[in-house]
Amino acid sequence: MNGYGIFVWSSFLLTFLVCAVVYYKTRKTLKKYEKDFAKEIEDLSVEQKKTVLETSKVASKIFSSYNKTI
Amino acid sequence: MFNVFYNSNIFAWIEKIISFINSIFFVLLIIGLSFALILSPPDYLQGDSVRIMYVHVPAAWIGLASFTCIAFLSISYFIFKIKNLILIIKSILPIGLMFTCIAIVTGSIWGQPTWGTFWAWDARITSMVILVLFYILLIASQKLILDEDKANKISSIIAVVGLINIPIIKYSVEWWNTLHQPASIKITGTSTIHSSMLMPLLLMFLVLILYCALIFLMKYKTEIIRIKKKNLKRL
Repeated sequence: MNGYGIFVWSSFLLTFLVCAVVYYKTRKTLKKYEKDFAKEIEDLSVEQKKTVLETSKVASKIFSSYNKTI
Repeated sequence: MFNVFYNSNIFAWIEKIISFINSIFFVLLIIGLSFALILSPPDYLQGDSVRIMYVHVPAAWIGLASFTCIAFLSISYFIFKIKNLILIIKSILPIGLMFTCIAIVTGSIWGQPTWGTFWAWDARITSMVILVLFYILLIASQKLILDEDKANKISSIIAVVGLINIPIIKYSVEWWNTLHQPASIKITGTSTIHSSMLMPLLLMFLVLILYCALIFLMKYKTEIIRIKKKNLKRL
């Protein structure tokens, strides 16, 4: 890099390091929310659970995808 | 008309788009980095330090575009009162802040070999710092104001006021004498950047846009789940 290596590499490393950390944290938070939400549905009474899963497409999708992963 | 904004419709698409981005992201990243770090030519004046442009410029574009989006979504929220717009704004905010900070830091690193200093209170840099402050204000208003409606109103006002800063950033290099160079890429008019540098720049921009889409979709999904969780507690 003709003497500019330190500047170029540090810029790229910093950018991709920040991107990787943000990606990891965002994904971790999402998984935590999915897990908590699925657990809360699981804890509902049979009737409530049935109502929630029938009325909310989002809830049924999260619940089924969470059950697939465990 | 606004069926597309319903959570259940959007939610169904999120998984599909995330998988699609994941399937092409690393290939594009490797191609983009190969061009940015190896295959693109050094600048006749700045030498290899010009390669910093491949992260600095896309980061700045994303920082500015994110704030512009947030401001227009805030105006739309005022008019149409669609709650989903607030979820979209909340999901864009951290992305915009992150890329504006990256643009400032990488610009500062680039400043040392080209200007001989890491920092100067130049019009472009100062207006970018003001943009960061607006992002921080927006995030703080969303986090610190407990009344959701009040928080949404205040953050929308901040976003609309902050929109004034966007043309100031864009034209700061023309309105004032700055260390920062004028724009090399023009949508209307002839660009002064050679295609051998423009192509890797656009490629890196595409890679970072895909990354933003990935983060945005994950954040948006988290926000939808957070609301559904709240509704569940009401049962």
